[in-house]
Amino acid sequence: MTTISTSPPVARRRPFSMSVLLRQILLAVMGLIWLLPVYLLLANASKRPEVFGDYSIWQFGDLGGLVSNMADAWGRGRLSLGILSTALYAISGPALAVIIGAAAGFAIVALRLRNGFFWFVLIFASTIFPLQMILMPLFIGYAQTGLYNSRVGMILVYTVIAVPFSAFVMRNFFSGIAHQVFEAAVMDGASAWRIFWRIYLPMSAPALVAIFILQATFIWNDLLLGLTLSQSETVRPVIAALSALQSTYGGSAMSTVLAGGLLVSLPTVVLFLATQRAFTRGLSLGQF
Amino acid sequence: MTAPAARREEMLPQRKSRNAFALPSVGFIAPAVLLAGIVLYLPFLYTTYISFTDYNGLGDPEWVGLANYVQMFSDPGLVNSLVNTLYWVAGTIILPVGLGLFLAVLSHGLPGATFFRLPFLIPYALSGVAVGVIWSFVLQTNGALSQIVGFFGADAPRWLLDAPLNTFVMIVASSWQGAGVNALLFGIGLQSIPKEPLEAAKVDGASGFTMFRTMTWPMLAPLTTVVVGLSIVGSLKTFDIVWGMTKGGPGGVSETLALTMYKETFITNDYGLGAAVAVFLTVVTVLASVLYLRRQLAPERSV
Amino acid sequence: MKQHHTRSALVAAAAATALLLGACSGGGDEGGGGGGNGGDGGDAAPTELGFFTDKAAWEPQFDEMNAASGDADQSTLSFTGYSDAAAYDAFIKQAFRTNDKPDLFTWHTGGQLGELVEAGLVAETTDLWEEAAANGDVPEGLIENYTYDGKQYCVPLNVVYWVMYYNKQVYADNGLEVPTTWDELMSNAQTLVDNGVVPFHQMNFIFEFVWFQTVVAGSDPEAYVGLQDGSVSYTDPTIVEAMEVWHQMQTDGYFIDPGVTTDPQTLLQTGEVAMANFGTFFTGQLNALGMVPDEDYGIFAIPNVNPDVEAQQAIVETGPLCVGAGSANEQAALDYSAWWMGVDAQNAWTEAFGDVSFNPNVESPDPALSAVVSQVTGPDFQIQKRWLEATPVPIYTVASEEFGAFVTNNGDPMAHLEAIQAAADAYWAEQ
Repeated sequence: MTTISTSPPVARRRPFSMSVLLRQILLAVMGLIWLLPVYLLLANASKRPEVFGDYSIWQFGDLGGLVSNMADAWGRGRLSLGILSTALYAISGPALAVIIGAAAGFAIVALRLRNGFFWFVLIFASTIFPLQMILMPLFIGYAQTGLYNSRVGMILVYTVIAVPFSAFVMRNFFSGIAHQVFEAAVMDGASAWRIFWRIYLPMSAPALVAIFILQATFIWNDLLLGLTLSQSETVRPVIAALSALQSTYGGSAMSTVLAGGLLVSLPTVVLFLATQRAFTRGLSLGQF
Repeated sequence: MTAPAARREEMLPQRKSRNAFALPSVGFIAPAVLLAGIVLYLPFLYTTYISFTDYNGLGDPEWVGLANYVQMFSDPGLVNSLVNTLYWVAGTIILPVGLGLFLAVLSHGLPGATFFRLPFLIPYALSGVAVGVIWSFVLQTNGALSQIVGFFGADAPRWLLDAPLNTFVMIVASSWQGAGVNALLFGIGLQSIPKEPLEAAKVDGASGFTMFRTMTWPMLAPLTTVVVGLSIVGSLKTFDIVWGMTKGGPGGVSETLALTMYKETFITNDYGLGAAVAVFLTVVTVLASVLYLRRQLAPERSV
Repeated sequence: MKQHHTRSALVAAAAATALLLGACSGGGDEGGGGGGNGGDGGDAAPTELGFFTDKAAWEPQFDEMNAASGDADQSTLSFTGYSDAAAYDAFIKQAFRTNDKPDLFTWHTGGQLGELVEAGLVAETTDLWEEAAANGDVPEGLIENYTYDGKQYCVPLNVVYWVMYYNKQVYADNGLEVPTTWDELMSNAQTLVDNGVVPFHQMNFIFEFVWFQTVVAGSDPEAYVGLQDGSVSYTDPTIVEAMEVWHQMQTDGYFIDPGVTTDPQTLLQTGEVAMANFGTFFTGQLNALGMVPDEDYGIFAIPNVNPDVEAQQAIVETGPLCVGAGSANEQAALDYSAWWMGVDAQNAWTEAFGDVSFNPNVESPDPALSAVVSQVTGPDFQIQKRWLEATPVPIYTVASEEFGAFVTNNGDPMAHLEAIQAAADAYWAEQ
């Protein structure tokens, strides 16, 4: 932890700095170590199942093998059917949750909700319940209300699952914004509604984006809720189909499973890549 | 615990403004409270009820009072699960949180930071199915890690077979997935720190580490609370990675509380006992996080 | 009471809807009514049945089954697969508390099916079994897995025989012959160890019990059966002896390192293990890697440990296909079940899966499978239930952990057996 001594702003101010280079090298080396398992994923997803055992785990198969394994996973896993609904859940769920969570944070920090800490803990504590234990009661409730196996039901549960995290981050992010900002806006005659949408939300772009991508990724990769609360191919998320490849009885070859996993992960990796740009843009907005 | 703070607030001059926004404040928090209440609290209440019953998933639950709790606390296996869970909490606060902070500080303001941070985020974006398989490649006998260790002429231990080593290596695997996310959250915190005080401190001649300790770290507090708070909750609930890699074995040595709960409920079909473990786990988690959050958040409330 | 009313009303409504739908879609073009060769008591129109299974990977094969049942003017299945077996079991049980009761679903034999029968959740199939027996569509003894209080419930979805798969190249390279006695099997293993090849595959989870059942059943079949009803203790000398055999095999290095998690099919293909004690579903996994039966790999029945045991022991596993009592399409699902047991459906099954059928009139298209199946179903063999289904769940839960630890650490067998027996004592005391 002592390496932290190269504090960022200091380093950036220097015209040329050894420490910048050192930090870059350190990050690059660590990054490479981090990518080793990803390399193993690629290497082993690209081996054709018939010759999988002939290679060492470090060897790369071939590009054609990767493509054919992906095609195999796509077909056998019927991934195409679930992918649209999964995209719908992974976008709408966190988008709603970000707004709802931010509103809660806004109520507590800016509007100074009475007993704010209690309400905050109440929302946050809902993330504490082990997911596995709410599955069955949720299933019963969903079946009784007609939400079972419906897209609305899936969006609802994914939104709610993401709300506590969102409320937590936003509450704390807002607490970093000086209350004078709020008071000045009130002086100008702005309503709470307007202050929230026009001032607080735009100021929090990086936090909103971060919550969104983290929760979108979580939802995209969720298996349990999707498996339990839906059944038809058009409502079920794609991961439910992907995990079927890995069955004990009649499962697919290792490389097909890996290729399928890789394929399904591509959208989330792209999402991370794309939003990295939004981050750097959001940075300037955050500099109030 | 809210009383002193409320009193303090009432003494502040903005009392009028607080009243003015009392109604909107309720409106703004209502959606979150209602949704969590209906979708998450109701099922939990049901689980609590089940924990006082004998129930195998069929027919009607039969009220047995505290029997499940007595059985749970008299099972020696619970101690093992509890110890493993504590390993997870400690390990998660040290490794993924520490690494996340390190990465965030290291890359903050660095040319090409976006690019350098990327390798740490990719693991989080990968689907769990692929991650489990990959780590079994790494950790199995003669797997990638053993080959690397062997390359340096050492004998590789049985990573996933011996306790508590298997818990430790799984914590490392989960750090691989989680550190980037923590770095991302810390990064947001660093971005929101105003430049001026830091500049002033620099002019005053503060050195790197001193400045981090006295200026950056305190201002990072809101996001540190988020990261640590989420890590405590997340690690107490550790399930996916253990279930995926060892199923809690061999012989239950790597079981966590969440696994015990899952196995009692879904494998043994003792829903009552499983629910009792779930309630116990929830109480522990609520206590831990309220204690932590109260300490972290209470002072700010008077801002 | 209220629930019963709404339930029956719903069933009636659903049946009416099904009839209407059937009438509409039937449209008179197929000449209607063609009950085919299967369900005789069947009077429900073919429809689309909600079908649930934890064998999620079987969806493509069930598409082929749908083509076959469609051609036979039977219902088709709307497939929902669960990849998480535990979540699946919980889901099915809970589904019976809702209006979404499953028409057809796969389940487990043994105590788990007993539970559902006791709760009245599965439809009786006694008539179907009588008819199938009359047609010679079910082998002797299979019915026991489906009988509770003299009545039958569910029909067999599949049947799996537990046998030994071996790599032919490895056998040839080491000059080995297919063993006909346990001693020959052990001497093969020793030769392999001497030549630096790992003889057997085994796992420390999911299938950690496999060698236990093989050795116990092959040493003392009666004791193996006795374990199932608590009349034999896990610490009885005969069980301890069997456990010692397994212990010695592990000590002699006959098994692959428990830390290896590579797929068993890959290990057998590369010759990293010479043999794998597996269910006949393993054929599908091997064929998926491009291995050819009788060319790249062979199959043999595992000889008895104790040569004095007269009948050769073979382990069989069967999974039920059940009709949900009170489900929307109960009668149509029963008709489908009747069709399922018949020759046409089973031919389609073996074709789709390349697997074996429980129906003795249907032969597997796979020569290696076909040979070993006719051997173990022949007169010299005695069929035993798989230990997993034959053991009450609370005992199984403890035992699977103990076996997992035993496979991993090869510790003192007695300590593990005592732990299992403690769970067994607790369980049988409550019965």
